[in-house]
Amino acid sequence: MKAALVRIGAIVRKEFRHLGRDSRTLLAVVITPVIQLLLFAYAISFDVEHVPTIVIDFDQTTQSREYASLYSSSPFFNVVQHGSSMSDVDAAFDANSARVAIVIPSGFAKSLAAGEQAQVAVLIDGSEPNAAKVSQAYSVALNQLYSQELTRDWADAQGLDLSSLGMLEPRVRTWYNPERRSSDFLIPGLMIVIIAIVTVQQTAVTLVRERDLGTQEQLEISPMRRVELMVGKLLPWTLIAFLDVALITGLGRTIFEVPLRGNFWTLAVGAALFVFASLGMGLLISAIAPSLDTANIIAMLVAFLPSFLLSGFAFALDQIPTWLAWISYAFPARYMVTISRGVFLKGAGFTEVWPELALLSGYALVMIVISSVLYGRRSSR
Amino acid sequence: MSIKRIRLLIWKEFIQLRRDPMLIRLLLVMPVVQLIMFGYVVAVDVHNLTTAVVDLDRSTTSQKLEAAFTGSGYFTVTQHPASEDDLRPLLDRGTVKVALVIPEGTHDRLTRGETAPIGIIVDGSDSQISAIGSGYASQIVAQFNSARRDELGVTVAAPGVDARIRVMFNPTLDPVNTMIPGLMAAIMMISLMVIMSQAVVKERESGTLEQMFVTPIKATEYLIGKLTPYAALATAQLLLVAAGGIFWFRVPFNGDFWVVLVGLLLFMFTCLGLGLLISLVSRTRHQAQQAVMFLMIPTMVLSGFIFPIQSMPAVIQPLTNLIPLTFALEVLRGAFVKGSSFEALAVPLLALAGFGVVIFSAAVIATRRRIAE
Repeated sequence: MKAALVRIGAIVRKEFRHLGRDSRTLLAVVITPVIQLLLFAYAISFDVEHVPTIVIDFDQTTQSREYASLYSSSPFFNVVQHGSSMSDVDAAFDANSARVAIVIPSGFAKSLAAGEQAQVAVLIDGSEPNAAKVSQAYSVALNQLYSQELTRDWADAQGLDLSSLGMLEPRVRTWYNPERRSSDFLIPGLMIVIIAIVTVQQTAVTLVRERDLGTQEQLEISPMRRVELMVGKLLPWTLIAFLDVALITGLGRTIFEVPLRGNFWTLAVGAALFVFASLGMGLLISAIAPSLDTANIIAMLVAFLPSFLLSGFAFALDQIPTWLAWISYAFPARYMVTISRGVFLKGAGFTEVWPELALLSGYALVMIVISSVLYGRRSSR
Repeated sequence: MSIKRIRLLIWKEFIQLRRDPMLIRLLLVMPVVQLIMFGYVVAVDVHNLTTAVVDLDRSTTSQKLEAAFTGSGYFTVTQHPASEDDLRPLLDRGTVKVALVIPEGTHDRLTRGETAPIGIIVDGSDSQISAIGSGYASQIVAQFNSARRDELGVTVAAPGVDARIRVMFNPTLDPVNTMIPGLMAAIMMISLMVIMSQAVVKERESGTLEQMFVTPIKATEYLIGKLTPYAALATAQLLLVAAGGIFWFRVPFNGDFWVVLVGLLLFMFTCLGLGLLISLVSRTRHQAQQAVMFLMIPTMVLSGFIFPIQSMPAVIQPLTNLIPLTFALEVLRGAFVKGSSFEALAVPLLALAGFGVVIFSAAVIATRRRIAE
């Protein structure tokens, strides 16, 4: 046992020495997560606000200006330009300088004074569908609210009693993340994506490289046992992955003030299980891939893409087709994002997320067993 | 320049590629996987949000309101908890994403002509759903109000605004229509950078680069021979994505074919140049791969490929202009969705040309220098 520990220690030292020699890789595994975190946290957002809007007021009256000011005072629209002809709309849409155009035809004030329905055109650029959807919804709401106000004022002026004109007022509350800060939503999931990329890719590549360079054979004729070799190979990456977890959690808590509402240990256990599952996956890839290029691309296909797209970290999974949802269960990132977000935002502990934790540990176990069997078969050849 | 030498070099590259049959297969599987994932996951059309309705009013008004939510197609009412306290576990578990709370006395308040508040709760842990869900909810309530007013016949002679809202360019608002053209550019970039960056390093690692340089081959010939096979592979991937997008996802193509072609060609030079540069500055294949990852993630995030540039903070937005993919997306999306002409896309096309010339010539010069060494 003691001899085994010595041998494992030797491999661990060798791995760290390799890393130390390759300063660029070292930089990549420590600095990249930090840069990614900053980048994602600052740049990613689905919040639709301040949609650039162009107003074309053919009427040029107090009423039309009042109507236009509804848009400029709404936090949702941001009037960036006042045009004088319809060609300004085309130009603005072509140059992407505006996404919404409000066209107030001449006679707007006159129609209102006559008690008619004054027509207005709202043109929305549909080439950014999410922003367009939300713009559409808000402009409907804004116009209907304004109409209601007009009707009320009119009734008051006429001395009519519109007692039947009650209306519903929506009061929107956002739970878990009241200020709707994207960083709160993204950072707990982001951590998972970054760890998945670092661990799977690195383990997949280090083992294939050993084979490519021919040092694999040298290791095999040494008194090392296979298990010892694998443990020794994985240990440094486990440590680095934990370092990354701590780094991202720390930065998220301090710089982005992401709340940690739940049980810290639940998160730690989940992260450890997830790291093992990812390392197992990396080993599996290295056992299958014939070359470094293939290992790279497989790692991208099974680590980067699924953890980015099928984990629920930024994209809702209840909206995707069922068959694809089943596929998403085949990747550990999905469980871990649920755990992480549950702990960070919803204050979850072991009692809430135990099913995910159980699945994750099962996953890690299966991955490591399969990969050791395959790896062993391969190296005994 | 000798055509024969170039041809031989191309031949050699293909033989080398064939030696790793898994690689070729993966390179053709990758665009398909990406097409599926981006097409179904990122370009998801948010609808049928699971909704809980807490109806404390139990009146005709509350029933009508619920029907308005269900009828919109954006919300699917799956739960009717008895009280607001029961909402917490439902949202905690993610069983519902949205909740509608209709307080007691809503109907009476409305008939008295008062403003009756109703509660809409959205799950903020999912920013896309909370933005779209609350927008749609506000729209439905506003429509409900005006429908009710119409029913009561108050509109007789009252003034109002009749807003005609028209969505231009992508009237169905299906996100796939903008995702697929973007994916074409993204896939070209990913695969060219991933394979190209390995191409020269691999030769250097195995020492065949020196052998190459003692042959009469010239730097230009070497470059053309080296680049052509990968450009061909990338074109195959591109066609796969385009075909998948047009035939499977039924993405309409409204634009000018030549705009797309010119845009893609210009962008291809940028990608080839970038891959080559990485290959030249990296000492090992592992480093080259790290460098690609290092560049790729900011590119994907900041280009507006997935996350709209407009939603980024003002400080970050200028940074997006440093990324060639941003302009490639503008050209492809403009041409596909808006049917924009060369004239309308002059700025991004020129920017792409600029990137292409600078990066590609830098790569050529660097290769020449390396060979001269």
